[in-house]
Amino acid sequence: MAILSQLLQVLVSGDFWQLALRDGALLALPALGGVLSERSGVTNIAMEGMMLTGAFFSVVAALSFHNPWMAVIVAMLAGGAMALIHAFISIRFRADQIISGFAINIAAVGLTTFLNAKLSNFRGLQQVDPSGRLPTINVPLLDNIPFLGQVFFQQNIIVYVSLALLAIANLVLFRTRLGLRLRAVGEHPEAADTAGINVYRLRYGAVIMSGLLSGLAGAFLAIGIANIFNDNMTSGRGYIALAAMIFGKWTPWGAFVACMIFGVGDALAASTGVINVPQYFLQMVPYVLALVVLAGLVGRSTPPAADGIPYTPGGE
Amino acid sequence: MTASTAPARPESEAAATSPWVERLRRVGRALALPAGSVVLAFLIGAVLIALAGGDPLASYEALACGGFGISCFGGETPALQISNTIEFITPLLMAGLAVGVAFRAGLFNIGVQGQLILGAIFATIVGLRLASLPGVILIPLLMLAGVVGGALWAGIVGVLKAFTGAHEVVTTIMLNYVAYNLLNYLLINGPMQAPNSSQISLPVGQNAQLPTLIPQEGLFFGQPGGAYHASIGIFIALAAAGVYAFLMRRTALGYEIRAVGQSQRAARYAGISVRRTIIVTMLISGAFAGLTGGLMIAGGSLHYLYADLKFDTTGFDAIAVSLLGQNVAIGVVLSAILFGALHAGGLVMQSDVQISSHIVEILQAVILFSLAANFLRSLKLRLPSLGREPAKPDGMEAAQAALQAEVGSTAAAEGDGRA
Amino acid sequence: MSTEVRADRPAAPGGEAPYAIEMRHIRKAWPGVVANDDVNLTIRKGEIHALVGENGAGKSTLMNILYGLLKPDAGEILINGQHAHISGPRDAIVRGIGMVHQHFMLIPVFTVGENIVLGREPVENGDFYDRSEVDTRIRALSDEYGLHINPDARTGDLPVGLQQRVEILKVLYRGADILILDEPTGVLTPQETHDLFAVLRGLVRGGKTIIFITHKLKEVLEISDQVTVLRRGKVIGTVRTKDTNEEEIARMMVGREVLLRVDKAPAKPGAAALRVEHLTVNTEQGLPAVRDVSLELYAGEILGVAGVEGNGQSELVAALAGMLKPRSGRIWIGDRDVTEEGARHTRHAGLAHIPEDRRGAGLILSFSIAENTIFGHQRDAAFALRGMVLRLHEIYAWARRLIKQFDVRTPSEETPARALSGGNQQKVIVAREMATQPKVLLASQPTRGVDIGAIEFIHRRIVEQRDAGAAILLVSAELDEIRSLSDRIAVMYEGKIASIEPPDVPEERLGLLMTGGGGRQTHPAAS
Repeated sequence: MAILSQLLQVLVSGDFWQLALRDGALLALPALGGVLSERSGVTNIAMEGMMLTGAFFSVVAALSFHNPWMAVIVAMLAGGAMALIHAFISIRFRADQIISGFAINIAAVGLTTFLNAKLSNFRGLQQVDPSGRLPTINVPLLDNIPFLGQVFFQQNIIVYVSLALLAIANLVLFRTRLGLRLRAVGEHPEAADTAGINVYRLRYGAVIMSGLLSGLAGAFLAIGIANIFNDNMTSGRGYIALAAMIFGKWTPWGAFVACMIFGVGDALAASTGVINVPQYFLQMVPYVLALVVLAGLVGRSTPPAADGIPYTPGGE
Repeated sequence: MTASTAPARPESEAAATSPWVERLRRVGRALALPAGSVVLAFLIGAVLIALAGGDPLASYEALACGGFGISCFGGETPALQISNTIEFITPLLMAGLAVGVAFRAGLFNIGVQGQLILGAIFATIVGLRLASLPGVILIPLLMLAGVVGGALWAGIVGVLKAFTGAHEVVTTIMLNYVAYNLLNYLLINGPMQAPNSSQISLPVGQNAQLPTLIPQEGLFFGQPGGAYHASIGIFIALAAAGVYAFLMRRTALGYEIRAVGQSQRAARYAGISVRRTIIVTMLISGAFAGLTGGLMIAGGSLHYLYADLKFDTTGFDAIAVSLLGQNVAIGVVLSAILFGALHAGGLVMQSDVQISSHIVEILQAVILFSLAANFLRSLKLRLPSLGREPAKPDGMEAAQAALQAEVGSTAAAEGDGRA
Repeated sequence: MSTEVRADRPAAPGGEAPYAIEMRHIRKAWPGVVANDDVNLTIRKGEIHALVGENGAGKSTLMNILYGLLKPDAGEILINGQHAHISGPRDAIVRGIGMVHQHFMLIPVFTVGENIVLGREPVENGDFYDRSEVDTRIRALSDEYGLHINPDARTGDLPVGLQQRVEILKVLYRGADILILDEPTGVLTPQETHDLFAVLRGLVRGGKTIIFITHKLKEVLEISDQVTVLRRGKVIGTVRTKDTNEEEIARMMVGREVLLRVDKAPAKPGAAALRVEHLTVNTEQGLPAVRDVSLELYAGEILGVAGVEGNGQSELVAALAGMLKPRSGRIWIGDRDVTEEGARHTRHAGLAHIPEDRRGAGLILSFSIAENTIFGHQRDAAFALRGMVLRLHEIYAWARRLIKQFDVRTPSEETPARALSGGNQQKVIVAREMATQPKVLLASQPTRGVDIGAIEFIHRRIVEQRDAGAAILLVSAELDEIRSLSDRIAVMYEGKIASIEPPDVPEERLGLLMTGGGGRQTHPAAS
């Protein structure tokens, strides 16, 4: 029962929950991107690649400008550009969206490693110095609350941004005209089109949003957490976000809850020193969790009706 | 049964074309898209190389040298380059078949990498534990172990998909990461790490190694035989392609796999168990993937398990191999040759003209984009004079249909739209 | 598709333009097919204009062009005498055109209100959806036209008749003066059709113009003022309804005299070939569909199943065919209990099945015709050695034989099924299912969406099968088909067999039975 008490010890520590929330908020960004994209009817498995692209370009920009905000903008634009390719191929050419998304992920690996080798002469880009890093914000007064202060009020600025974006997205999606139209396009594009709604414009917008959000997540990972770029550094987080989106039934808060489950898994994986289980088994935890979670859904999670189906106006 | 000789001839214009002409036209149509995609990829690649300050022509010469042993200017031995290329082709072909089987059933197996890692782990264990057995027994056992490892790993995906509907794209990727961590556990200060070394296992013995194509003693084409690593594994992979072709075209199981891939609703109508077919397909796919892992251990040049196998991309490259080959055996063989040459050539290109070999991944992505988007079809639609009925590659429509399984049959029915 | 929106509605012309719509020299071609060929169509203001033609005659293409969903290759459109450039539905809406589509353009998970206002939503505080304003406006609209509905009901929960009401409200909400209704009665009961016609007459009295697309000649005569007939993409003619009759319109539609009746001898029913006892079946989603149905089907008879679509017919057939597991009850073919057997063994027991969903279930479109002719029999000894290795030579010979016997028009047996016309695709299925000389044949919507020539052919074959001793269960949404082919007619309503009637039962009685035995059926959401 040593493991149980070690686990308990981990679960009551502020460090653990601080880490879990950080990673949950990180995952929530691409997951939210996925929600928006798929709500508009474009299947998106490309968050991984868009995130990786964002991570790379944030480091390049941070190293050149020594300014994290410039880096964030560049990262978002880079993620958005990858998303634009996915949108163009999926919407204009009515491609298979899974293959297009997978190709984005491959392209992102190829592009970032290719450019990484080119820019660093095969040595790898250097570490980002503090002037280029995203800051941690300690909310005055509140950060002194025991436990809760550490978990909620001593976080990287992007954690707060991520939570705010979730709230805004939820409001937009379910309370506004824009959200109604976006959901209409994802459920029944013909109905939306015949009601005079521009299906393509909304789909492009939603997919590009997913790129901007994933790019932001990439920047958070690279210049807010790791402070360096490593090839393939997203290591499947985009895919885990995808699982979170499905588990969260294509809603922002649902996806966030799922992201928190994975965040806890991540934090567990990082607790090797305390929990006496081989390190690599602990690191399997988030992935195994994703499997269990997906298997447990058994037909209870239904995607938007037109998700993944290219739209042809006036089609037959 | 009266075997009538003359098929019914309708009065329509279609009657004018003989089946042979139609068959030729179908082959032409099938080749146009992949060939166009490859050409497009090379064009875009050239632009990228130029943007990166390289010389596209020299780069592609180096690529051709490394791939096919032609147009070499860096003092390479053509025969050695071809041997290297064969070494790349073997796993790509095997893994491409693994992806292809799944595609035919409408399943997108992104987990071939994890499955081949499991195959390699199982194969290595058998190779090390049963090292005293003679090669004729040990090698088949080792391959079988690989098959079992891969099939087990893919079988999990099949069962989850069949019984809970968990989408295979997500489950295969998750299992990849579990496999990577398993590999790390075994090899980084773990039970399989070789003494006094790091992150690798002991090599399997001579008995467990496949014979090479060129004897290891003596000089061949100006190089010692030991420099040539290509093994007879290539023949195993080619035989697997033959099995694949037979399975798909000539067996009832292949027929059922293809039917499930096209329309699960129709499959149910025909009395085919969709669940069983999905599981069986994943087992076969995993078996091909596991055999890939076995071939990496018994063939190849290393003969041991190494932790960096998790950075190997064979299982992902195989997706492009399979799609470019339109999921048919001969196509997969041809595209495995192309990608094998690209990978081998990329290394020569990197050392000769300092263009990162990762350009190959970008080419691969462009090929996937243009296959998925079917740019050619779009061109045809806008030029009706060229247009006959637009052809559609099997697998994509199938994967699409599979993703929409929950939505019902409408996707498949509407997907084929205007003919 | 152009994103351009023309916000300004053309000013009313100087005088009263007599025509609501003039479409001139419209042409639209797909690769290989000319859908509209130099089509001219003139619609007077305030009339109900029927647009008739067979499937594929180009009616829907023409209306999709008018509504901006398709771009014509050539031709021009005048609305109220003004030239109109319509590059998308928005342009059409702005010009007062509204369309009620054959397949409803409704989002099942949205509320009625959300569906109606979609595209022109009232908002408050910037972009927030204003639900109370939506409710107010819809209630006003409902009162004005007498189309009552609860704006907060979930659209997917409503019966088809009410969903259509939502569609009409949607069009009226957008201020349409010209309403296009594409096959609006296809899914309605006779009673609902009657109600719809009353609504349409009311709309015309209120000054609206209506274009009514249909292929049902009786409805044309009942509701329209003018009729335009299309055949193979061309206008055959426009006539005043009161100057014409059913036969003349039918002749214009098909270009020759048509056989509206099927010649057949009286049935000689034999022993029960199919017995069903207390069968209860749920849909794949788990909703009750078939409730405690018992019936006997005799060798040598055709039992027609009439009913409004969605009253359990599909699930009944799926359960009989072994595709859907019943919740309770038993099914026998001859003496064999096949309740638990599944599709494959049920087929071996002597059942054949022409499925309602030709392209989604009956065929694999990418497979060759030869491969399709063994679909469902791919492990039979005749086609597969030990049930494993396909015997290609036998399969091709078999395919050639069926192609010949059933007059399938195809270049070869290797042609993919996708390349065939709808009628020929259906012939492949009919050939495959009839060639096994089944004891029981389930024919579900066997002639849906095929041309008249193929309909006659398939009807003849069904009667031949009956005369050869097969027991046939015919499910069709076309009452005429049921009445002309069946020896007995079972009416399904809400998952039960309401009654079994003789073939000469008056249509009014069928209509009554199909709606639950008389009386207006009101849905709680309709008040």
